[in-house]
Parts: sequence; C-alpha cells; structure tokens
Amino acid sequence: MSFSHQNAEPFIGLAQAPTRNNPHENSALTVRGLCKSFAKPIINNLDLTIAPGEIYALLGPNGAGKTTTLRMIAGLLKPDSGSIEVFGVDVLTAPRAAKAMMAWLPDEPLLYDKLSALEYLEFVAGLWQVEPATAAARAENLLETFGLWPHRHERCEGFSRGMKQKTVLAGALIHTPKLFILDEPLTGLDAAAAKLVKSILTQCAADGAAIIITTHILEVAERLASRIGILSGGNLLAQGSFAELQAAAGQHENASLEDVFLHLTTRADV
Amino acid sequence: MFKPTASFPWLLAHEIKLLWRGSILLRTSKYVLVPVIAVSIIFQAIALLIVKYLQTQTLPLPVLILIANINLIFLSGLMLSRAMTSAIDVLYARGDADFLLASPIKPIRILAVRMIGVAASVAAPWLLLAAALANALAFFGNWQALAAYIIIPMVAVLVTAIAFLSVVSLVASIGPAKARLVSHGIALFIGVFIFALGQAPHYIAPANLRALWLAFMPNADNINAAIWLPARAFLGEFIPATLFCAVCMLVFWLVLLTRARQFADGTISAAAYGSGPARRRANAAFRRTPFAATMLKNLRLLLRFPGLVTQTVYRSLTLVPVTMILTGHFAIGTGPGVVIPLLVFLAGQLALFFISIIIGGEQSPDLLASAPVAQQTGRRAAYAAAAYACLIVMALPIIGVVFRESQMLPMLLAAIMGSILSNLMLGQRFPIPLLRPAFGKTQTGTVFSLILGVSASSLWACLAWLAVTIHPLATL
Ligand SMILES: Nc1ncnc2c1ncn2[C@@H]1O[C@H](COP(=O)(O)OP(=O)(O)OP(=O)(O)O)[C@@H](O)[C@H]1O
Ligand SMILES: [Mg+2]
Repeated sequence: MSFSHQNAEPFIGLAQAPTRNNPHENSALTVRGLCKSFAKPIINNLDLTIAPGEIYALLGPNGAGKTTTLRMIAGLLKPDSGSIEVFGVDVLTAPRAAKAMMAWLPDEPLLYDKLSALEYLEFVAGLWQVEPATAAARAENLLETFGLWPHRHERCEGFSRGMKQKTVLAGALIHTPKLFILDEPLTGLDAAAAKLVKSILTQCAADGAAIIITTHILEVAERLASRIGILSGGNLLAQGSFAELQAAAGQHENASLEDVFLHLTTRADV
Repeated sequence: MFKPTASFPWLLAHEIKLLWRGSILLRTSKYVLVPVIAVSIIFQAIALLIVKYLQTQTLPLPVLILIANINLIFLSGLMLSRAMTSAIDVLYARGDADFLLASPIKPIRILAVRMIGVAASVAAPWLLLAAALANALAFFGNWQALAAYIIIPMVAVLVTAIAFLSVVSLVASIGPAKARLVSHGIALFIGVFIFALGQAPHYIAPANLRALWLAFMPNADNINAAIWLPARAFLGEFIPATLFCAVCMLVFWLVLLTRARQFADGTISAAAYGSGPARRRANAAFRRTPFAATMLKNLRLLLRFPGLVTQTVYRSLTLVPVTMILTGHFAIGTGPGVVIPLLVFLAGQLALFFISIIIGGEQSPDLLASAPVAQQTGRRAAYAAAAYACLIVMALPIIGVVFRESQMLPMLLAAIMGSILSNLMLGQRFPIPLLRPAFGKTQTGTVFSLILGVSASSLWACLAWLAVTIHPLATL
C-alpha cells in the first residue's frame, strides 16, 4: 500500500493550541453537559471523553442525535448548553483554533459538481492552510491510495457514490487532523475500499489521532473501535469496550454487538 | 392525502408548491416584500408619467399595428432566446425529472407542467414591465391596453412550445452534448439578431429602412389580412385576441402531444450526460490562504456555469429594447447620456448574475463552516470573484469611455462600483434562481431579487445619468 500517514511532520494547528493548565489537557475530545433541542430535546446532558489514539464508535437508532452531536463537536451547530473541548481548545470560544485540528465528514458527501477531484483537494488544502508543496505531494499520494488518480481531472458530478465518498475522505486526510469526526464514513464503499479506509484510520489512531465515528454497520464498530457508545433518548445508554458492553447488557460473551445493541436500545424505548 | 392517480392538476399543484416553497417563502424573509412593493409603485408611477407624455398624439391604426408588430418581434425574439436556455435547463438539470419519469405518471403530464413553468418564467419579467404600462394606459382611458395581461403570457406559451420543440428534437437527433451547444448557439444568435435589428439605423440607409418598416405596416388594401392579427390582438381587439390565443394554445398542445415520448427519452439521456474527462492542466494549483483557495473555487464555479456566455450576452442585449421603449427611439444613440447609465446598469445586472451563480453553486457550505477560517472569508471571496468577473466583462466598454469621454471616467467608475457593490450585497443574501435544484435540495434564490436587483442598478444608472446631464464637473 502506498499510503503513509505523515506523522514525521508536526500536525497543523498543534503549534497554535494553547498549552493551558487544563484538567482535560491530555484528552482529545471532552464534552460536558451537552444539551440541544430542536422542536423537542434531542441531546440531553451528554458527557463524552475520547483520548488521543482512540477510535470511538457512536452507535444509536435512526434519529437518536448522532449527526447532531457530531455537528456540534465540529463547530457547525451551537449547543444550547454544555462545553466542548478539542485538545484543550474550547470549540465555542476558540472555534478557529479548534477547527484547525479537526476534520469533519458529513453523512452525505458534499462536493462541488463542477470541481474535479484534484480541484476539490486544492480547495480543502487551502482552507486548512496546508503548505502548497506539501499539499500537492499529499494530494497525489491520497489520490493514488484511493484509486482516484486516473479520475483526478474529472468533475465530481460524474462520480459514483463510492468515488465521491473517497474524494471527501481524501479531503479529510489532506490536512492531517488530530481529531476525525466521521459520520458514516463507509457508506457506499466497496469491500476493498472499506478495508483500506479502516486500515488508514487504524494507522492514524496509532499515530496519535483521535477518531469519532458513527456507523450502522455494527460489525465495523465491533472490529474497528476501541470504545463504543450507544446513544439513545438523548444520552449514552452505555459505553465501553465491546466486552464491557456485553457485560453491561447482561449478555453472555458469545453475544454479538447486534444482540447487545438491540437489547439496550429496545429496552430503553419501552 | 394520497390519490390513486397522479392527475394533471395534482402535478401542477406539486410543481407550484415546490417553486413557491423553495424559491420564495423559505429563502427570504417577509421584509423583502416591502422594497418589492415600493419598487412596483415606483415602476407604476414612471409608467404613468411616460404614458401621460405620450398621450398627446393619437396615431392611426396602421401606425399602431406597425408599433405593435415591432414590439412583438423584439418581445418574441428575446423570449424565444430565453425559453431555449430554460428548456435546456429543464432537460439537463437532473432535478426530480428522473424521479418523476421513473414513476407511473404519464410523461406528457410532466412535460406539460415543465413547459407551463418555463412559459411563466419567460413571461414574468415582460409582464411586469408591460403591466405597468398597460395599467397606465387603462388609467388614461385606453382599456384595450389591458389585453397585454393575456397576450404576453400567450406569446410566452407559443414561444415556449417552439423552444421545447427545437430542443427536444435536437437532443433526439444529435444527442445531449451537441444539443446543448447548438441550443445555446441558437439562443445567442436570436439575441444578437434582435440586437442588430435595433441598431439597424446605423448601417441601413434610411430609404431601405423605411421599406423594411413598411413591410410590417398594413396599407388600405390588406388591413384585414390574417397577418396583422397578432398585432391587432396585441392592441386589444377582441376577435383577433381570441383567435391568437386559440392558435397559441393549439401549438402548445400539439407540441405536447407529439413530443412527450421524446421528452422522456431526452431527459434520461441528458441526465446521463456528464462533462467527460477534462483534458487540460497538468499542474495542480494549491493556494496558501483560505481566501485565495475560496476565490479560485468560486471562479471555477463561475466559469463552468452552463450558459455563462449566452446569459451574459443576453443580459446585455435585453437592455436594448427596454431603452428603446423608454426613450421612444428605435435606434439607440451613443451619446454619454445613454451609454454611461447603460453601462452602470449592466455592471449591476452582471454582478447580481455572477454572485448568484457562485452562491447557487455553493454545494457544501458546511465544508467552509467546518474549516478554520474567519466567518467573513466565504462572503468576501464570493464578492471578490463576482466583482473580478464583472470588471473583466466591463473592461472593454470602460476603455472605450476612456477614449471618447475620458473626463467621465471617475464618475463612471464610481457609479459602476456602487452598482456592483449593492448588487453583490443583495445577491449574496438573495441570489436569483438560476438552476433547478437537485432533487431533495431547496432552491437557492428568489425571484424577488430580480426586481430588487433591477431597482438597485436603475438607481445607480439614474445617478450616473444625472451626473452626466447636469455636468457637475463642468460647473466646478
Ligand atoms: N435542523 C434540524 N431541525 C429540526 N430538527 C432536527 C434538525 N436536525 C436534526 N433534527 C432532529 O434531531 C433528531 C436527531 O437527528 P440526527 O440527524 O442527529 O439523527 P442520527 O442519529 O444522525 O440519525 P441517523 O442514524 O438516521 O443518521 C431527529 O429527530 C431530527 O428530526
Ligand atoms: Mg445521522
């Protein structure tokens, strides 16, 4: 595999991150007392902590508020109350410093129909102020890795769902973020591409990045995540490693995550 | 409520509901209505003044028919050009056409609804202009003028039918990619032809010109011939108007009946139409700052807007007949009193058009929102790209002014800047609708901003006109 995560060079934004004396300083993401309501309360007093190097899978039934939570973390949506810190930087008061360390991947790939894959990467790299020479090298590397190199000059309007997904993933990786916020990143990917993405994410985590990911493919969560949280009714029903969840749900150790998930979420609904 | 069959009224209601919800209600605040109403009142007042001024002489019927004919030619030519580009939009925008065509709804109903939508959008701006004049004429006792309320939509219906006929046939015969090119070409040609006609007095000898105009004027022998019926309908005579409407509806219906199947084929093949691999550019263009990267992205969106050239030229040409109506001349003078306000107006219109393309093409605003950039970067980069494109188009005429009336330059530049800036600010908040939204997405843009844009540009044009005619620099 030609992909290599450039961990030799400093992460963008790391230099800007204030090294205050903070109790959560060595956590990648700290969410405290997060609340958000639209017509009715969606997120209710949510606490969440993710350490660097951790892959955290946020699971939950449709409409549980996973996307809403991720949008708040990414600084796209103001919470009603609560605090969000990314590597010690408050997302609400210092959004730019926080965003410099994050990559957010929406649940549907948002691209520009009229831009080519390479031009999209140029745009993203410019937004995160990646040094042009570095960005060009990384773009080439990423396009090669995702098999998009032959299509780099084609406009995204003609791309398949999976190609679009690969393009936005490349966009997220081009600025080497320290916190990945990925909303269903494997949707539309073929088996090989999904495997590739999973190994890239594992590599990034090994290099010290924190990853929060939502998915409906429970097998992905089970295999990939070091910790799993189940969101339902506005709060975490349970969180921990897969084994801890099995124990919490009172299930035997051969139970699949599906059994655990259904057991926990249906119990909460009734 | 679910009905067992998708009836035509149901589909029409669906289309209107989508248009209304998407483009008018949701995207704008209700306060937009206040300036819109104010502008309408001002338009009406100007129309009253013009009509009062023109009321002094009464014209014989043949001359009236000549005037009606000339208006009809310009009107239908420009409408046809517009309808062709709209028809291409309808056939090429993926929108919900694929979805509807995959349903058991008959294609003929979908086509009918689309054609009515195009006819309405083509008729709307002219109806607005004509309604003000017709109201004013009716106010001074010429009740027949109110016929414009029916005749203009009917002309639009006829022209839309012709436009769809040609575009659908083109797609069927030469394929979607070439058809788009040819259709835009035809639309542009019609526009340029109408423009050339307006400029005829500059290059046709007066005697020949008179002969040309006389061809559009009846004499005592043939005044009752069928060929004058459209003009008479336009003038509000009852029987010609009824006949004219009947013919327009018939043509519309025939196109609908005969082309529905082809429409279905055309849309599907057109929907599958992609841009193909781009051939150019080996080197990547990575930018260091978010502003530069966003500006580059905006310029690319702008350049790749389908029909950029046609619509830009069209916007420039539409000014010609409007000025002719307003000044009462068939040929436009080239004095600074006309040219400078026109340039100011055009700059504003182009700014509104360009910024609307950029805002309308902003498909992932969340990307910018999740990036570590200042909040105003996106807005500034949109302004910068649109203004840059505007100045490129305006450069040539501005240089022309430098050569002929160089003392006007500071005033011209100031007015152009004002016109561009106010339209940019307007268009950034309320872009004009340019493309049918993708299925499931809300339309960006509102028709109200067309009206607001025209009034902002007119205001600056008026100021420029005052500055030119009063010559403040000469008194200094
Ligand atoms: N902008 C909004 N306005 C009103 N309600 C919203 C908005 N965004 C989300 N909601 C509501 O918030 C709830 C949670 O939505 P969210 O998209 O976060 O769910 P999710 O967990 O991501 O679901 P899925 O698994 O389907 O992706 C839903 O009930 C939704 O209707
Ligand atoms: Mg979601």
